[in-house]
Amino acid sequence: MPSAPKLSVIVPFFNEEDSIDPMYAAIVAAVEPLRISFEMVFVDDGSRDGTAARGEEIARRDSRVRFVKFRRNYGQTAAMAAGIEYAQGEILITMDGDLQNDPADIEHFLAKMSEGYDIVVGWRHKRQDKLVTRKIPSKIANRLIGKVTGVPITDNGCSLKAFRGSLIKNIPLYSEMHRFIPAMASIAGPRIAEIRVRHHARQFGKSKYGLSRVYKVLLDLMVIKTVASFTSRPLLWFSLLCIPLTLFGFVALAAGLARWPVDGFVSIPLAGAGLIFLMAAVTLMASGTLGELVYKLGDVRPENFARLSKRAVGGNPIVSVVASKGIHP
Amino acid sequence: MTLSHAGSIVSVIIPVGDRQTPIAELFAEYKAGLQSLRTPYEIIFVIDGPQPAYESALLRLTAAGEPLTIVTLTRRFGEATALMIGFEHACGAIIVSLPAYLQVAGSEIGKLMTALDTADIAVGYREPRAGGWFQSLRRNAFHGLLRFVTRLQFRDLGCNARAFKRKILDEIHLYGDQDRFLPVLAERQGFRVAEVPLRQATDRLRPEAYKPRSYLRGFLDIFTVFFLVRFTKRPLRFFGMVGLVILSVGVLELAYLIFERVYFHSPLADRPALLLAALFIVLGVQIFALGLLGELIIFTHAGGSKDYQVDRVIHYPGPASDRAELSEAGMRPRETEHSRVISL
Repeated sequence: MPSAPKLSVIVPFFNEEDSIDPMYAAIVAAVEPLRISFEMVFVDDGSRDGTAARGEEIARRDSRVRFVKFRRNYGQTAAMAAGIEYAQGEILITMDGDLQNDPADIEHFLAKMSEGYDIVVGWRHKRQDKLVTRKIPSKIANRLIGKVTGVPITDNGCSLKAFRGSLIKNIPLYSEMHRFIPAMASIAGPRIAEIRVRHHARQFGKSKYGLSRVYKVLLDLMVIKTVASFTSRPLLWFSLLCIPLTLFGFVALAAGLARWPVDGFVSIPLAGAGLIFLMAAVTLMASGTLGELVYKLGDVRPENFARLSKRAVGGNPIVSVVASKGIHP
Repeated sequence: MTLSHAGSIVSVIIPVGDRQTPIAELFAEYKAGLQSLRTPYEIIFVIDGPQPAYESALLRLTAAGEPLTIVTLTRRFGEATALMIGFEHACGAIIVSLPAYLQVAGSEIGKLMTALDTADIAVGYREPRAGGWFQSLRRNAFHGLLRFVTRLQFRDLGCNARAFKRKILDEIHLYGDQDRFLPVLAERQGFRVAEVPLRQATDRLRPEAYKPRSYLRGFLDIFTVFFLVRFTKRPLRFFGMVGLVILSVGVLELAYLIFERVYFHSPLADRPALLLAALFIVLGVQIFALGLLGELIIFTHAGGSKDYQVDRVIHYPGPASDRAELSEAGMRPRETEHSRVISL
């Protein structure tokens, strides 16, 4: 028997005692007819209700279930990251534990993955949520995320996604980045596809999200943009920041010294401001050098990702990475 | 009592800093308390910075047949470092840290140990509490500030009588004066923290030595903990916010100056406000750049540090995949060393 299953289904649970049993049943019902080896990784994100007990019970009954219990609540990204860490499958599928995603869609994801994509993301095209607090902010956020990261996905918030295990296991996930996994993964240049998925209204429990996350999403977006575009060439990016400062500096300095050859008058504020700007440019360059050093010493480097996105069809992977950035229909 | 720990050794670590009770009195008190527990124990004194008189007093005790471990540090490193070094010499499954001056009665140690039955770390708080209104004001201010910063409520972090399981110090590395915040850091790592009321020792010569410097240090420590707890994983959230605020103040000021220059013809060249605007802009950009550097460090080293602590993994492998589970155990990531893998 092969030790690594073909498919791992990763589901984080946080206070979902009513959902965990139906979720398990639905996954088994959806995947068993497909006749592939699979496992389930259930992550209990520090629930305070009966989720852990029910999850342990499921793991006892079914050897295909791996139940990972957190010491306390760490958030959905951490739960996803832990699920990815413990999953052993070739293809990993993540979904929410609140029954809003439908495991019956797994089949379509597998079909799409077998076409050679590295990441397949779901799109809840008939979303069953509140319009004002959930759908409209999410629409704006998705538009923004697509613009900024250059990975125009219609629905970043949909947890139902499929990944090639070897790729996603090497993408660092922290903070609240699960929304941006495709964007983070884009540094590896994967082939991303998008498919429509079903979305059900919430049956049990209550939603754990509200409008408050908007601020965090914006900051995380900033981090991803900078980190993803930045990691490869820190010095370059800091140098770009330096250009306006240097320009300002020289202009102000020149203006401050303009009358000096004529009558010896020096404008202290102008010349001083110029010097301050020039100094800042120099320290920024120094920061850039430090950044380069950090990057050299670090173990997560974009060039390592080039080898991660395996192609189903042969060919030089690095070439197809360059050619395949962006979304395929 | 403490049946569940019967047979396991208790390691008592006593970091010796500035505040001390004469050794004979201290040792007699703690020894009486430990012996009443009827569990094997070892006592480790870590002398933080050379104190020849204290050391020779300890050596006299060992000459009299008392089994002690004495570690002397060549200079003052702080109580937390002393604790960590004591821990390196400890072989017990349970570690008890006690102050070198009589803070709580020796007979109270058992209460800490009992609390470990349901918790990973038991911290004492002194109840009823001696001391005047000024002490209690100072105490409340400290804990209030800490609660504001970390959103965790503790009664008495000044109480150094604590008992904890070995895994706590395996995971949490303290330095300087962070020993005070061990419960905060443990809670953050997801350990269960219990607070235990302890009777304060009736100590005639309890030296209350709080210098202004120690206030400053306490404040800086809170700041450090604030950072450790809230922003270690997302430096840009902090630096970015501060940097952007300063930057926008500078830009607004500059815009105003330019506006005045263009429409009211007040010359830029002799306005010191221009310097201020330039300083703000530059400061903002630099702080933001620091945040970016921080993010870069986190990102490039994210493989080594995890956001979460796994309590346990439950997996009952079927008969066919039994061997797969075993072979996988060797390459498990570090976090799970302290978690239980139940396999049948």
